[in-house]
Amino acid sequence: MSRRLLRLAWRNLWRNPRRTLIAMAAIGLGYAMLLFVACLMAGLRQQMVESGTDLVLSDAEVHAPSYYPDRPINQTLGGRDGTDVSALVAAIAADPGVEAASPRVYGYGLISAAHQSVGAQLLGVVPDQEQKITVLQSRMVKGSYLTGAVPKGVVMGDKLATTIGVEVGSEIVLLTPATDGSTGNDLYTVVGMFHTGLDAMDRDLVLMSLASLQDLLRLSPGRIHEVGIKLHDNDITAATKTAVALEVQLSKSFPVRVRAWPELAPELADYVQFNRRVTFILFLIFFLLAVMGIVNTTLMAIVARTRELGMLLAVGMRPVQLVGLIVAEAAILAGGSLVLGGALGSPVLWYLQIHGLYLGGSRGAISLGGVVVGPLWFGRQDFTAYTQAAVGLAVTAVVSALYPALRAARFRPTEALRKV
Amino acid sequence: MRWQKGSVAICLGLIWLSLGQVSQAADDPQAREIVDGVARLFISQSSIATVEMQITKEDLQRKIMMQFWSVGESNILIRIRSPQEDAGTAILKAGGKIWYYLPKANRTVKIPASMMMSPWMGSDFTLNDLVKQSRLTNDYVIVTSFDGQRDGVAMSEYTLTPKPAAVVVWGKIILEVRHADHMPVRQRYFDEDGKLVRELTFSEYKTVSGRLIPTRLVMRPTGQTVEQTTITYEKIIFGEPISAETFSRKNLKQ
Repeated sequence: MSRRLLRLAWRNLWRNPRRTLIAMAAIGLGYAMLLFVACLMAGLRQQMVESGTDLVLSDAEVHAPSYYPDRPINQTLGGRDGTDVSALVAAIAADPGVEAASPRVYGYGLISAAHQSVGAQLLGVVPDQEQKITVLQSRMVKGSYLTGAVPKGVVMGDKLATTIGVEVGSEIVLLTPATDGSTGNDLYTVVGMFHTGLDAMDRDLVLMSLASLQDLLRLSPGRIHEVGIKLHDNDITAATKTAVALEVQLSKSFPVRVRAWPELAPELADYVQFNRRVTFILFLIFFLLAVMGIVNTTLMAIVARTRELGMLLAVGMRPVQLVGLIVAEAAILAGGSLVLGGALGSPVLWYLQIHGLYLGGSRGAISLGGVVVGPLWFGRQDFTAYTQAAVGLAVTAVVSALYPALRAARFRPTEALRKV
Repeated sequence: MRWQKGSVAICLGLIWLSLGQVSQAADDPQAREIVDGVARLFISQSSIATVEMQITKEDLQRKIMMQFWSVGESNILIRIRSPQEDAGTAILKAGGKIWYYLPKANRTVKIPASMMMSPWMGSDFTLNDLVKQSRLTNDYVIVTSFDGQRDGVAMSEYTLTPKPAAVVVWGKIILEVRHADHMPVRQRYFDEDGKLVRELTFSEYKTVSGRLIPTRLVMRPTGQTVEQTTITYEKIIFGEPISAETFSRKNLKQ
């Protein structure tokens, strides 16, 4: 396409600024709308995944091969003899995809206070490290998170505390089958309570220090069940890829399985797929609207310019050049519109990412299918979707100009000139 | 068409017949009495027993020594004597509740019903097996499903299916009892899908304080080659008076 043709196209566009600006507004606003939808949906996805992984699950977990999902207490990493825990955690943290790692021990047993006993899930963690991979410490409603100050302190869900009737400072007894077949039992002090909004956790979970749970289960200090991992990028594909690579790396010392969150919480991964599909459908709707706007404007423009185009043909422009001219006009128009739409949209996207959209609701967060959402809906920048939308709209603008352009190329100059 | 009608009639007739048989057998007082006798083998006005529990797992061998005191079936005290890790632990059934005394925590804990069916001390028995002594005749319909020679011994086989309103965990229990002395030989437990879950065998029948009892009970979960738990009654005395104090929570700490 020659420079002359481009200059001609540019001039043509500004021959009727009003028409051009209206077309630009149609495409630009369409694009801004797509950006808005993509940003909110990506944000919802991210929020669901984070609320699903940030409380206890973490982005990925390292287990002995036969440990998950039944979690038998004697299936520790490195077998009966265990392993050098700090070296293992350091090796995992050294992976470029890993942000932080934290060792864990699981158990289940009876938690008993003065008058009530119920079954509970026991989780042993190293508080300093655990806080780098999960956010349970930010959900404390009474007392404090685990500290080194109270070695036999426990933190539990607020509903569990109500069920057995304990307060911060109360003594509780934990009773659990230990690895050697004996009945592990000991006294602990409640140091804090959390509220996550997830019933399964608020009713069931007791958090304690790794060492005290190992002691209760009669596991030696080198025996742990799991290393929880926070990843830099917890997108489904990225997380799975990092997990696979890490498994290969760690398996050199002893057999392990590394599972990323999509494998640990398939329903969450399903949700992400579902969300992507919904986004696609919404995209399609907005896209169709934008396409109709573009086709309409271009067609109208061509019809209105029949005389002008006939004149160009009459003075000797070849039909191919005419098609080139009209497509060039459409391409310039689309490019300008996208810049305009992006300029209009970016402050909104920025606002959504930083401040979120307040959804209301008097009780704050709600739990939906095992994850907690709201009350603020944050957006997240999804540049892949932005690019796709831009390319899609540009292509549509150009393609939709082709049909009227081809029609114009077939004009017979004499007839075209006679039209008003 | 005619033939089909006929077969339906025959089927209905058979169903009616079998129903008749079931209800008849269910009310069979003799079967009822024998099954009840087995269920009450270790229950007496009072009993004191020394029991060894040998647990064999794929990667674990444990021997637990314990002592039982019981008066009827509502007051039971179990004290664990060894091994060291569990010594001093005591279990009390009194007033329809189960209490656990934990020496390490020095606390007494009430055990919820939900824990009664989980493996006890890593064995193949549940706490329910040890202290609940549920009256089979109350909860189950009893049918004599076999009568004759088996392995050269004359015995009867009773099939117990839960009554509609009964709250029980088993879908079916099959109990084999010797004709000669009404001693149990084998008791098989099935789940609700009719699958065999575990098998309890009785042996080493001895007369103690004028009572004939099996002194060795072996529980094997189905599908396990190595895993099993053996309970051996080393000593058992029936009829010795036991003070009511024994079954108090205060007495748990010893």
